[in-house]
Amino acid sequence: MSRIELQHLMFRYKRQQPEYVLKDLCMSVEDGQSVGIIGPNGVGKSTLLKILTGLLLEYEGKACVDGFAVQKQNLDQIRKKLGYVFQDSDSQLFMNTVYEDVAFGPLNYGMKEDEVKMRVEKALCQTRIENLADRQIYRLSGGEKKLVSIAGILAIGSDILLMDEPSAALDPSNRENLIEIIRDLKGVKIIASHDLDFIYDTCERTVLLSGGRIAFDGDTKEVLRNRELLEANGLRLPLSFRFMN
Amino acid sequence: MDKLDSAIQTIHQMEDMAEENRFFCHIHPLAKVLVTLWYLVLVMSFDTYNLIGLAGMSLYLIILFVVGEVSVKTAFRRLRLLFFGIFLLGAANVIFDREVLFRLHGFAVTGGMLSMLSLFLKAGFAVLAAYLLMAGTTVNGMCHALRIMHVPGILVTLVLLIYRYLVLMLKEAARMRQAYLLRAPGQKGVQMRAWGSFAGQMLLRSMERAEQVFDSMTLRGFQGEFPFLKRRWRMRTSIVYAVSWGIALFVLRKFPIFYIAGGLL
Repeated sequence: MSRIELQHLMFRYKRQQPEYVLKDLCMSVEDGQSVGIIGPNGVGKSTLLKILTGLLLEYEGKACVDGFAVQKQNLDQIRKKLGYVFQDSDSQLFMNTVYEDVAFGPLNYGMKEDEVKMRVEKALCQTRIENLADRQIYRLSGGEKKLVSIAGILAIGSDILLMDEPSAALDPSNRENLIEIIRDLKGVKIIASHDLDFIYDTCERTVLLSGGRIAFDGDTKEVLRNRELLEANGLRLPLSFRFMN
Repeated sequence: MDKLDSAIQTIHQMEDMAEENRFFCHIHPLAKVLVTLWYLVLVMSFDTYNLIGLAGMSLYLIILFVVGEVSVKTAFRRLRLLFFGIFLLGAANVIFDREVLFRLHGFAVTGGMLSMLSLFLKAGFAVLAAYLLMAGTTVNGMCHALRIMHVPGILVTLVLLIYRYLVLMLKEAARMRQAYLLRAPGQKGVQMRAWGSFAGQMLLRSMERAEQVFDSMTLRGFQGEFPFLKRRWRMRTSIVYAVSWGIALFVLRKFPIFYIAGGLL
């Protein structure tokens, strides 16, 4: 069974609006896959991720996570399996310290203190920020905040990770660090980004959205090498390929 | 530094102070909240003209400032506007109550003067006690204590969310003000004619940020009540702290220490 399945997914922000943001999307994601979602601004990348998390429920067609239809009555089950890393980490982190923020999810799911402690420590270890546990959130750098956001999702035990522009506003060293961490994570990863080099480094499969439809779905290298296809969709060859050619 | 930035920094400094590794920070928040409430009740119970008895209650504040390693200077600087407001409020008493109660070396002391002083001391003590509580307890800790006291979860969550959103709103306001001033050289602040759109934009942006924070919370299982992390509080010390302050404050209330000391002299 696919971990994520979309069938003829359509979405528009208001019922009165004639224009659909997402049009007839069909795709499935298997366990262990890393999928990049690319496309120009306003094509619906973030919208697609928000539909999968259940933040936008008024879609047409079918969207399933681990067999559960993304509907209000299934949100509890879905959200235990799936985590969403916001583009702006400041909007995601709201507790005083790193430890408290990472523990927020497990505590909400009624886990015992010992279990919470174990999960928080493991998540901090996976994201290599054990040393930040007692640090105040407002004292963190942009890169550290991103890692804390990911740790907060991992602590819940989610193995489907959705990330919206994870490399935005990161310096090269933090970006490299994030790439390594994402590579090491198990489970499904879906990354929406304009940073095609980042997608190249983290995803083996890429979906190119154009005008709300899937223009390409396949091997990352194949799409990122296709200058005509990228340029026709408002994108440019990633730097790694530009120098190769 | 900009006033808004300074306000945000003050909030962060208070949070830092409450997280420090000091004796006062290791006491269970419930003990501190109960002692503070008990103190407030006792301070408010003093008769308007019992100034000497009331002054004895300052011992609690003095001891906490020393034991809690809290800077008195900083406290008075941060609370100066509040003290000024209290002073203005009390000053009205002098105008309305002019009855002479006694004369001190020929100077007529009216009921209004004493009630003003009494109001000033009571309100000042209450504000300082609340400040000392905040200086050693995080907002989460205080809310945890309120939940233990069976204050409804919805109210406690409301307090926490207001606190979080207040910081978000201040940050948005600081960002917008900075963007405005960078494009308005020579201006000291936001001009009157820009205030309408400025306030509207700030509200919309704050609401958007608040919505994102709420989304982030619901995605991590938030069901309407904040979970609290149990810390390794020093339970025995906390019990001793609450009981001994409970008794000591009662004794201070019953036996005005300054009268007794004056009698001995």
